[in-house]
Amino acid sequence: MKKLLALLMCLMLIVPSALALADDNVTITLWTYPIGSWVDDATVKGFIEAFNAVHPEITVNVQYLDYTSGDDQVTSAIEAGTTPDIIFEGPERLVANWGAAGKMLDITDLWTDTKDDIVAASPAVEAACRNAEGKYFEYPLCMTTHTMVINKQYFEKADALQYIDEETHTWTTEGFINACKALQAAGYIPGVVYCGGQGGDQGTRALVTNLYSGQFTAADHSAYTMDSEANIKALTQLQAMVAEGSLTADAGIVAADEIALFCNGTIAMGFCWNASAAVSNKASMQETVTAFPMAFPSDDGVPELQGGIWGFGLFDNGDDARAAAAKTFVKWVCDDENQAVPSVYATGFFPTRASLGDIYAGTEKADNADFAIFMPFLGDYYQVTGNWAVQRTEWWNLLQRIFAGGDVAAEVATYVTNANAGI
Amino acid sequence: MTTKAPSLAVSQAQKAQRRRENIAGYIFMAPSLIFFLGFVIFPMGMCLVTSFFNYTMTDFSFIGFQNYAELIRDKIFVDKALVNTLIIVVLSVPVTCVFSLWVASLIYKMREVHTSFFRCVFYLPVVTGSVAVTVVWKWIFNNYYGILNYLMKNLGLITMNQNWLGSANTALGCIIMILLTTSVGQPIVLYVSALSNVDGSLVEAASVDGATNLQVFWRIKWPQIMPTTLYILVITTINSFQCFALIQLLTSGGPNNSTQTIMYYIYYNAFKLSRYGYGSAMGIILALIIAAFSAVQFRLARTDNG
Repeated sequence: MKKLLALLMCLMLIVPSALALADDNVTITLWTYPIGSWVDDATVKGFIEAFNAVHPEITVNVQYLDYTSGDDQVTSAIEAGTTPDIIFEGPERLVANWGAAGKMLDITDLWTDTKDDIVAASPAVEAACRNAEGKYFEYPLCMTTHTMVINKQYFEKADALQYIDEETHTWTTEGFINACKALQAAGYIPGVVYCGGQGGDQGTRALVTNLYSGQFTAADHSAYTMDSEANIKALTQLQAMVAEGSLTADAGIVAADEIALFCNGTIAMGFCWNASAAVSNKASMQETVTAFPMAFPSDDGVPELQGGIWGFGLFDNGDDARAAAAKTFVKWVCDDENQAVPSVYATGFFPTRASLGDIYAGTEKADNADFAIFMPFLGDYYQVTGNWAVQRTEWWNLLQRIFAGGDVAAEVATYVTNANAGI
Repeated sequence: MTTKAPSLAVSQAQKAQRRRENIAGYIFMAPSLIFFLGFVIFPMGMCLVTSFFNYTMTDFSFIGFQNYAELIRDKIFVDKALVNTLIIVVLSVPVTCVFSLWVASLIYKMREVHTSFFRCVFYLPVVTGSVAVTVVWKWIFNNYYGILNYLMKNLGLITMNQNWLGSANTALGCIIMILLTTSVGQPIVLYVSALSNVDGSLVEAASVDGATNLQVFWRIKWPQIMPTTLYILVITTINSFQCFALIQLLTSGGPNNSTQTIMYYIYYNAFKLSRYGYGSAMGIILALIIAAFSAVQFRLARTDNG
């Protein structure tokens, strides 16, 4: 009796596995960072269900990452050999980090029939998704420009609206300086240059580089160029504004804290904003706050905004069947005629295919279309520069040292030396 | 011959019995032993081995003691991480022990319900998740609307808001203070238990002989709670050396590396820069420092009975 029972139990274990093998089913894993609603389980599971209606032979398991511990999870998975098949993030990770380390699959074949459409949307997107040898490690889905935001009510009360161009959402460096003074005089905290960590550092980088039209890196991304005259002038200007109180520097907060301060009406402007942030923070906005997105101030009034590009990369797990299934899923998510728009819509950003056009017109997220005004200001996607991880830490440490009273030129020299050391 | 045969049989039976007991003992030990070997000894060995390699995401080459040589030259490690870690240990360990003993000596004589209440109060931060504790403290220390600034301004102690976590002068102090709140729970519970177990007849006899309260404490109670004190010292020291979550969630080692610790620097190098070998070398140094501290504590706190 016992032997019969044992035999039955063994069969119960073996038979399902054998059946699964016989069916040629493939199970793949998707890890996604919180890009718009791609962290919402109902949304993502809905996409997977729709995919399974077309491809029932592919099972997709999903795991959600956050920006606090997500990189650590991926690093651990890489060392443990348990990386997912697909990961949803941007070129600074997919191309410049894991791709450069040889952990990603070359997915050039996915680009064959869509490259022209993507280039038509933005040539910068295509350039950011491949490495120097021309291997593509990312298949893009969406993009945006990172902006800043002002509280229009506070600006109005401080008579500072005169310093912004409400039509183009732009302003000059001089206008920014004057606006900060006016806000300070009216009793508001104009803005906080957060530097407690790397979270949202794209905002502080854009603030510095735009003030006097500096560049964050060399054109060929071979070096960090914060030691240029324009950038040193910008940092000196910010240091002076902090010293006189028309701007605040805070080494105790990061962008998420700054956004919270903006939404609860503590500060009059924020340096980390985009279409998705506008949607996700709508509910927490106080009555005294009217968010008005703005480009970063620049001396010539023509900003160069930091881009955000998100797409899919495939980890090289040495399994051709899973890789093929992963490509099928990614292609379906990004290019299927019924799915492409919902996939982008869920992010809250803009499609990287010109053919998709304005996906927000007449929808609940119609406000997102307002951010399209910033797309012409999309600047160089320099986040693929080498030694990026070191640079990020060096950046907020540089800001901390400068706003603690350090000599700008000397501190920038230290930053540039350290950031460029590993390129 | 007739007497030897039964004694031999008895001896063999005893050996068999002992063998069975030993086997049973090892079987009972096996789960924790496997866990200990797999999750403590093996990683320690791996850490030691990888500390001699240039182990990154793209390389795994033997470099001997180069990681250790680089550590000595690394100013952030030597001047900031090491120094800050030692400051945390030197300040938090004595304060934790003295404060815990003081609280325990006050509450252990109370009625059971009151003692339990205070034990719960002080133990609550220990069982609360470090993320939740950190979020609350972050709010307390907030530069713009934190309750600490609000209270201190209303009490006239400060005239304008202080950026507690954003200033290099105060950030480490804040970290140590939070660490204390999460560290005292267990020592208090242990001290309450140890003080309750002090032989009452000795205390009574000493009191009859005219000993003061201070004398009773130092001559009677202190020696009897010494093993507990030693345990608390060692555990608190190790916890202080391994202070990580607070730093990661509150300051990321800043401002200007003023809260940089060895543990956070290990994490930064291993996980942010993918320099696993270098991080392992730091881990080995940290383990050696902790071992040295623990050895000194064992030596100083050694008693005749333990």
